[in-house]
Amino acid sequence: MADYLPFLLNALTLISILMMVSLGLAIIFGLMNVINLAHGEFITIGAFTLVAVQAAGGNFWIALLVAPMVGYAVGLVLERVLIARVYADPLHAILVTWGLSLIIQQVIQLVFGAAPQPVTGPFPGSVDLMGASYPAYRLFLIGMSLAILGGTIVLFRKTRFGLDLRASIQSAEMASVMGIDPARINARAFALGAALAAVAGVLLAPLTSVTAYMGVNYLARSFFVVLVGGAGSVGGVAAGSGLIGGLETFLSYQIPATVAQALVLILAVVILRFRPKGILPA
Amino acid sequence: MTALRNLRPVTLAALAVMAVLALLPLVAQGYVLSNWRDVMLLALFALSLDLFWGRTGILSFGHATFFGLGAYGMAIATTRFGIDPAWASLAGLGTGIGLAILVAALVGYFMIYGGVRGAYFTIVTLALTIVANNIAIGWSSVTGGDSGLVGVPPITLFGMSFATPQASFWLAFAVLGLCLAASLRVMNGRIGLILAAIRDSEVKAETLGYRTPLILLSTFVASAAMAALAGAIYATGTGFVAPDMIALLLSTEVIIWVAVGGSGSLVGAVVGTVVVWHLQQKVSSISVAAWPIAIGSFFILLVLVFPKGLPEFVVTQARRWQARKGGRE
Repeated sequence: MADYLPFLLNALTLISILMMVSLGLAIIFGLMNVINLAHGEFITIGAFTLVAVQAAGGNFWIALLVAPMVGYAVGLVLERVLIARVYADPLHAILVTWGLSLIIQQVIQLVFGAAPQPVTGPFPGSVDLMGASYPAYRLFLIGMSLAILGGTIVLFRKTRFGLDLRASIQSAEMASVMGIDPARINARAFALGAALAAVAGVLLAPLTSVTAYMGVNYLARSFFVVLVGGAGSVGGVAAGSGLIGGLETFLSYQIPATVAQALVLILAVVILRFRPKGILPA
Repeated sequence: MTALRNLRPVTLAALAVMAVLALLPLVAQGYVLSNWRDVMLLALFALSLDLFWGRTGILSFGHATFFGLGAYGMAIATTRFGIDPAWASLAGLGTGIGLAILVAALVGYFMIYGGVRGAYFTIVTLALTIVANNIAIGWSSVTGGDSGLVGVPPITLFGMSFATPQASFWLAFAVLGLCLAASLRVMNGRIGLILAAIRDSEVKAETLGYRTPLILLSTFVASAAMAALAGAIYATGTGFVAPDMIALLLSTEVIIWVAVGGSGSLVGAVVGTVVVWHLQQKVSSISVAAWPIAIGSFFILLVLVFPKGLPEFVVTQARRWQARKGGRE
């Protein structure tokens, strides 16, 4: 058991990260059919919120509270100013969000510099788990991602906003006929997706190198999670993250990490061939 | 004169550009001429993207993968296999283009036959570039890793060496001209019409009896092969390959080149590449960091202000201005 536990926890860590990163994307994609290529930059914004807060003398917990607010505000402004104009054409949305992503990356790099930023997470030590020692922070990360997943499910199932959101994902037209203002729900959902990504950025910053380009590493994988899992459904995100994260961790134990990534991509393409709408569509 | 007037503005512009390009060796030598050779090869790369994106409406975010496969195929075949120098360039072309065709056919088959279209296709090709870039950096025993491979010899075909700037310039000019003419001919013919029908409504085209997935896949593979051809010759010109030739930024820059020229016109891709390339030199000479911001802003402007490309935008604005002037008189 002690032999398999670290592997299992490593897989769970990656799955947790993918899940947090993909949740916001799945909501935006499922609701507005917008492929948000700037999603990675919301993760970066979250991570740099942590950098800024720690540089100003604050601690990790303050950043964890501030980041979603920053993400929400930036998301709301960008949606109102830019994204709302390009819903009609998915291609235009791709081009605009990609342009946005390049600008955000470069601005962050100009402000903070190109070198990786130092951040410190809480819980520096390790925990003994059934004979195996494992970093405490990673366990915290897994716990947090489960909490965020739970919170999102509650938001989706138990609140008025969630009901409106699910209705709009099923049929935006019908929902608007029933009195749900599409402009309002789109703006709030986009901002919510950005806030989720920013929280994910804070949580994964201590585990990775924090640079202006860190978002790109997660962008492609989170899209695969959404495509394989199914857009617009929380269950789909969980299933997609489980499959992609689990497989990538398993394969990277056997073969070089880059080859493992390539194999996972090929598998995702093959899955799309047979289930074009994902494993668990909304 | 009427024949000239019947041509679209982009076609006229491209003919002018090709004519100007043909005059360049009279005024430019050495380094400047080599620069123009690189621009023409990048224009060929842009043309390859326009062949697929402009004509099917499906955007590939991964065309740098094929350009890079061509470049790396050429570099690996000429520097690692120890082939007789007389045949090494040909082997390099074969390796690069062959690899691109293989990857495009495999990925394209699963996606196109699986019904993956539109935005999903864009995302999968985006991931393809990221993975290809990871492999180019990670598999350093073959690809040279971060620093890439140096020492790619100038291209030699059937005993003819294209080592001087003049010779390689004319080679690039000829390849670009031939590919442009061939693409225009094919796309203005039957296949172009079928592709236009597929873009308007794939279901209708299928109902009329066309095997739409096969046609889309062939176009995708042909487009990838052309991108690889551009990449392979490009590598022999620069003499080295590096991971940024197979990177996401290049994939998106080529989209800008095509979009500026107006996607779908084929010749617009050439014009767009020349225009944007010179813009890039200007902006980068002011500040290297400014270029990504400039491209980013350009993407946004492109969608919000001139979705049909720069030449069309200029022409419509000029017409509107003329009409207004005419109305006042």
